[in-house]
Amino acid sequence: MQWCRFRLMAALAAIFMFGAAVSGEARAQSMLSGDYVATNAPYTESERAGREVWFFATAFNDRFFTYAYPQRLGAAIDWYKVLAAEHQDQLFQGWGAIPDPDCCIPGEADCPAKSLEQTYGFPYCPGDADLLNHVGKEGYKDPACLFQDGPYNMSTPHGAKDQRQSACDLRFGTSTGALGLRKFPNPRFDAQKWKALNGSLASWDGYRKFLSNDPAKADSRMNRLFDGSIEPPFRIGMACGACHISYKPENPPADPNHPEWENIDGLVGNQYSRISQLLASGMEKHRLEWQLIGWARPGTVDTSALPMDTASNPGTMNAIINFMKRPLHDHEVLKWRKASTCASGADPAVCWCEPGKPGKCWERSLKSEKVAHVLKGGEDSIGYNEAIQRVYFNIGSCAEQCWMNHIPDLRAIDPAQRNYGQTPFDIGQCRRDCASFRAIEDRLDDVVAFFLTARPTDLYKARGMGSERDLEVALEREFGPGAVTQGRKVFAQSCARCHSSQKGPYDNVDFRAVDPADPTLRVDWLGNEEPTLASEVGTYNARALHSNHMESRVWAQYASNTLHQRTADPNLKELLKGNGRGYYRNISLLSVWAHAPFMHNNAVGPEICGKPTDPDYDLYTSPYVDAAGKALANPPACWPFDPSVEGRYRLYKASMEELLNPGSRVPKMFITQDDIIVDVAPELKIGDVTTGLTLKIPKGFPAVALNSLRYKDLMHDMVLLERHGDKLDGKYKGVLTPAQYADLKTGLKELRDRLLREREKAIVDITGDPNTFVQRYYSNVLDRVENKGHRFGEDLSPTDKKALIAFMATL
Amino acid sequence: MHALIRTAVVLSLAAAGLAACDRKPDLPFAPTDTSLRDPDNPTKVFYTDMARVEHDYPLSREQRLALTPENLKSFTQEEIDQIYGRLTAGPIPNGGHEGDLFFARGEDLKSRLDEIVGGIGGRIADTKVKTLENVGRHLWKGKMFYREEGVLRNFIEDPKSLDALIDNPEAMMKTEIARKGWLGMIDKQTTVYLMFPAKLYCGQSLLDGRRESVIVDYNYGDEIAGYQERPDSLAGRNGLRVRDEVRMVRPGFYLGRAYMNRIFLLNFTVYNEADAKAGEKAFRDGALIKEDCWAGEQVAQAGQN
Repeated sequence: MQWCRFRLMAALAAIFMFGAAVSGEARAQSMLSGDYVATNAPYTESERAGREVWFFATAFNDRFFTYAYPQRLGAAIDWYKVLAAEHQDQLFQGWGAIPDPDCCIPGEADCPAKSLEQTYGFPYCPGDADLLNHVGKEGYKDPACLFQDGPYNMSTPHGAKDQRQSACDLRFGTSTGALGLRKFPNPRFDAQKWKALNGSLASWDGYRKFLSNDPAKADSRMNRLFDGSIEPPFRIGMACGACHISYKPENPPADPNHPEWENIDGLVGNQYSRISQLLASGMEKHRLEWQLIGWARPGTVDTSALPMDTASNPGTMNAIINFMKRPLHDHEVLKWRKASTCASGADPAVCWCEPGKPGKCWERSLKSEKVAHVLKGGEDSIGYNEAIQRVYFNIGSCAEQCWMNHIPDLRAIDPAQRNYGQTPFDIGQCRRDCASFRAIEDRLDDVVAFFLTARPTDLYKARGMGSERDLEVALEREFGPGAVTQGRKVFAQSCARCHSSQKGPYDNVDFRAVDPADPTLRVDWLGNEEPTLASEVGTYNARALHSNHMESRVWAQYASNTLHQRTADPNLKELLKGNGRGYYRNISLLSVWAHAPFMHNNAVGPEICGKPTDPDYDLYTSPYVDAAGKALANPPACWPFDPSVEGRYRLYKASMEELLNPGSRVPKMFITQDDIIVDVAPELKIGDVTTGLTLKIPKGFPAVALNSLRYKDLMHDMVLLERHGDKLDGKYKGVLTPAQYADLKTGLKELRDRLLREREKAIVDITGDPNTFVQRYYSNVLDRVENKGHRFGEDLSPTDKKALIAFMATL
Repeated sequence: MHALIRTAVVLSLAAAGLAACDRKPDLPFAPTDTSLRDPDNPTKVFYTDMARVEHDYPLSREQRLALTPENLKSFTQEEIDQIYGRLTAGPIPNGGHEGDLFFARGEDLKSRLDEIVGGIGGRIADTKVKTLENVGRHLWKGKMFYREEGVLRNFIEDPKSLDALIDNPEAMMKTEIARKGWLGMIDKQTTVYLMFPAKLYCGQSLLDGRRESVIVDYNYGDEIAGYQERPDSLAGRNGLRVRDEVRMVRPGFYLGRAYMNRIFLLNFTVYNEADAKAGEKAFRDGALIKEDCWAGEQVAQAGQN
């Protein structure tokens, strides 16, 4: 540049010649709460450490939820609405979140914080004395820095020297008042600006409220949660516990709004959680992003909504129990494994040693291994450690360092643009570039150790009975003499083929057998975990079409080669399915009495709902429709959240009745409640140039039809058809038959003509008969009824059905 | 005659000097990633992951110094993207910066713009899109950064052609900037009009999430002093929803990207000659780059801190 500028100046000259203040010490969570510590008693040091990581570590996703989520993904969370101290009583009833027993409301007796201004409107929780002093300042020492590690395993290739990543990078922060949601002081916070915007340090209203009360104005759908210039006092992070912590089935709290630590279980899975609605809480329902995230029933979340596989598929948070006996399967697994050295000049994409830590290396290699099938279709298939670690990335940990560049931008409709579609997350790169990755990875054995501690919950114990026999007596009193014995026979004949991990024939199999070496451990997983075609079971197939783990997709490295080679279900109606394959694994029925409603999406059984005192927190939407897919005027009522033993049992029985009597099921289908307006390009006139395209999805349209629409492909194909027919030909060559391709082109042309004709209307309705072709070719999911299928047992006699319900309550 | 020849020689030398500055510098770029294939769309192109681009093809300080606002226009869009991905935000700019814009080169240009500006019917807007580009370049002269206030305003030298879009031309904010070109020899200052106020902060890049960029956000410009509904709302949340992001090529020189409703529209550069001169030596010598924004964690490669 220097030389360049010199010549430029010389040329021009030639022409012109002729022309923080820290107060107090941060403490690890294990020291912050005596009652929490008391619950550590049953655990070894490794299990205790793993439990603490699971409950509290966010691994640096506070930046994700504060910045990447609204700015890059275009979605927003109204954290104040969820977590404000004055709304704490809505936590469980509204959001299904589990209140933290250790937090208090500022101003209440014995609460160290005396005013909401001190806590920026949030509850006061252990560790906040230090944290609140660092709001708006640098220098916060995270409580994770004093985390007491589990014992170092010296027997791995990483050798005898403990070189684990600093525990600070686990990033615990302090509680928000809801378990699993953690807060961190935002060093960029400016108190004066906040007060000017919100009127008070305790208020977030200026930040979160919509900008107009006039529904006719677009500003009624906008707030400042998307204004990146505003820095809130806290950055909120999420631990895995946010979805997995819930109430112990055998020891639920007397008041679910005010639990004690003894009522809380970190692995049971929160079947009340409305985490999906929480993730959409800062948006107006007209936003496309709300539609993609917000449709889920309690206890389910679409974990692929953010990575965006364009298959709307909320699934349950599984109970993590009895993993010692979980079936394992042979897979060809390409993954990183610990190594002590790399050959000189080794490709770092194959072998890599952490700088400054001699002997701490990793090598990527292909081996045959026995692995569990994790996730609904068994997609996480390279080992427990990696499956656990992937959870962290899916909740935004290390998102900027290694995730965001691999997931699509919803609005990137130009295929030439980066972030148009998914690319594979690179585990090696993330290990290299994200300290929090390494902090979690170096402690995964501890988390697995914690997982292995969880056991099934027996109903007889939950009821305080002395033995299984006592329960059987009670069940036979309820269901008739011999019901349990008869139910076992029915189970062996009709269910065990899929729902037992023991070998048949099953006539003499003890499904409740325990391991002699550890009587708390069941021998039978009560599910063989084999992948089964969704079309064979008849279940709503959206989740089976999840494709994030397939080759070229974001989680490809977390799936085995065996999984990548799965063939697609030939019975699928979907012509193009985003690489989905159509399988569900046969799940476990351990403690099934405690985990209703049923199926991967909690759709078989009564709908459940909270009963918040504030109607603004009533998030229930009836999914019940008639045979034509129209919302029922008088749908069945939802069942209030009831984590008591008998509440779970009643829900189990009602769900079993629906399962075994599919004819009695009222179809469920989430349908749009209002017209959804999607602004593709805003309508504007600049001189004689008119811009704009707005798509309308009218009220009453199946939400899945919108949420599973590959709209980018649709828009791009219309451009290709018009301009580059050869490229369109190439795109579908070998993918569609000639007849299908001709049908596609006809449909595209008709749609384009129609859009051009109606363009002056600015809002174009993309639903209706003329566009069934859109669903045919551009929807990744064509199923609509969410509680269909799994009709096994419908032909049993009423007596046998009751017997089966009785027996399964003992599992 | 002799004088004419001498003038011609001088002009030729000047032209040669300028042409050399505009020549495309020799920079390393990653090829497309051919190891990936989308079974639903065999024609899909996979770009090399940005972390790998930066790791395997680092840019040196000398290579960054070779870049100019003019010669950046000679790169393909993917090359521009890869350059941007290897930059950091650097210090948030302050003061007036001369601006220039350029659209993506190549076949994709038309569909890229048409889909944004013209929606589905964009093909009929081809000529108008070109008009917009020309008008944009003619009108937009640069950006005035107010770092301490967290505000930015764009400056326009001659707003007459926008009269029809402006509610009250008399009320427009104005400022003096250094005059460019030979007229600067006569009068060092020129008056420009400040329009389209925007918020200025560190935030997420829509191209490369590994580290923050300097964000220029027009969505909430109505809260900034000097805002006029017409024309400023054109860029705002009820208009084109424009959001810019910039990263520092070298002191005084930033590469930017403009998005409409999160759809990429065009590249632009902003350049402050005084800052460029003042910071050049230290930059060349490898001085630490001041980072006002979060710079991510990828281990520093050549050319960065």
